[in-house]
Amino acid sequence: MQTSEIISVNIWQIVVSLLNLLILFLIIKKFLFKPVSNVIRSRGEKVEAQYAEAERALSSAKESERELTEKLNIAHVTADEIVKEATAQGERRKDNIVGEAKAEADAIIRQARITAELEKKKAQEEIKTQIVEVSSALAEKLIEREMKVEDHHRLIDSFISEMEEVNDDR
Amino acid sequence: MNKVSRKFLTVDILLILGMILPILTAIVITVLFSPPTDGVEITGALIFFTIPMPIQDFPITEAQINSALVMISIFCLCLYMTHGLKENPELKRQHIAEMIVEKAEALVKDNMGDHFSGFAPFIASILALSAFSSLLSLFGLFPPTSDLNIVAGWAILVFALITYYKLKCGPLNYAKSFADPPALAPLNVISEVATPVSMALRHYGNVLSGTVIGVLIATALQGLSHLALGWAPGFLADIPLFQVGLPAVLSIYFDVFSGLLQAYIFAMLTMLYVSGAFNVDLYLKLRAEKKKKKENKRNKQYNENKVLEEK
Repeated sequence: MQTSEIISVNIWQIVVSLLNLLILFLIIKKFLFKPVSNVIRSRGEKVEAQYAEAERALSSAKESERELTEKLNIAHVTADEIVKEATAQGERRKDNIVGEAKAEADAIIRQARITAELEKKKAQEEIKTQIVEVSSALAEKLIEREMKVEDHHRLIDSFISEMEEVNDDR
Repeated sequence: MNKVSRKFLTVDILLILGMILPILTAIVITVLFSPPTDGVEITGALIFFTIPMPIQDFPITEAQINSALVMISIFCLCLYMTHGLKENPELKRQHIAEMIVEKAEALVKDNMGDHFSGFAPFIASILALSAFSSLLSLFGLFPPTSDLNIVAGWAILVFALITYYKLKCGPLNYAKSFADPPALAPLNVISEVATPVSMALRHYGNVLSGTVIGVLIATALQGLSHLALGWAPGFLADIPLFQVGLPAVLSIYFDVFSGLLQAYIFAMLTMLYVSGAFNVDLYLKLRAEKKKKKENKRNKQYNENKVLEEK
């Protein structure tokens, strides 16, 4: 078997080796760099997306926190108002009730007074009629027999005591 | 799951075989075809057969075969490293692949600038091809880089790239660059041509010299052992007493270190020459001027059309 010279220049060998390097360049570009950089890029995009997602979630959480705080403040204010209103309403109602009760009591008292007045009048009327009756009965008795002075006095006393009795009955 | 992983494993094994088999093939070819020598001869590559071609016949040599086998190996290595790539890396090889890609891109970016970011695969392939070719000598194979033709092919490709980037600023500027001091124009042309020649010869010479020194030292050690044990009777005279340790140490230097260093130097020089050939500022200026001119022309035409319409 032949061997070439140590220093031998052959155009075709040079061309083939040049093409070999080009082919290896294409191989390495297509089968090593392209897939690896694709993976790196897609991972970078994923990480970027996750960061964006986290950022978004954080901002939305902050937003909702703010909203909720606002709502809570409003709720506090509303609760205060409600309590105040309820207190005022209770106060008003109490006043109303007390006033009504007072008015009712006044009415009852008035009514009682009127009734008492009426009773008094009625009693007076009755006394009058009784006096008339007694005096008419006395007159009858006087007419029936002669009376002594002592009798007279007794009669009057008895009349007065009768009167007192009547008053006591009332 | 099991079925998928078994399929995955099968592909893995095939790819690993694809990496190893070319090397084994090269060893078998070398063992079968290399003529018996006593180790002192220093020859070029074996010629297996010759294809008749115009200008010059094309001999298929050991260097050609070995470099093709190295390429197959590298191809399978690429496939193996990118096999099972995921966004969440599970395999160690993905980390290695990502590291290689990122390092290559960073190296190119540092040495060539942003404009040449597409050069990373090219530099990586130069490094891989040169390093693996030189490392073939570890297996006792003929390293393709110690054949001038192989390295000359790469250097000519680099020279073509240099010239391409110099021509990007216009042929006139390219011609002008030679006449920097007009008196030294011939020297400038020579230095321009010297670039690929020096690159090729540097790489080839370093790897070949490693082989030569290896052979010389092995022969010297053989002589020394013969001198020391030559008086002994029978097989004792043939014991390679001094050939045991030293060639291995030298091999680490000349095959591993020198091979990797030359690969690195070749890649570095490629980057420096190509990026140095391209005048980015001038290119951008020229392009802006061109664009402006075009726009002016368009505006002019537009105005003329307007005038015509008005008429």
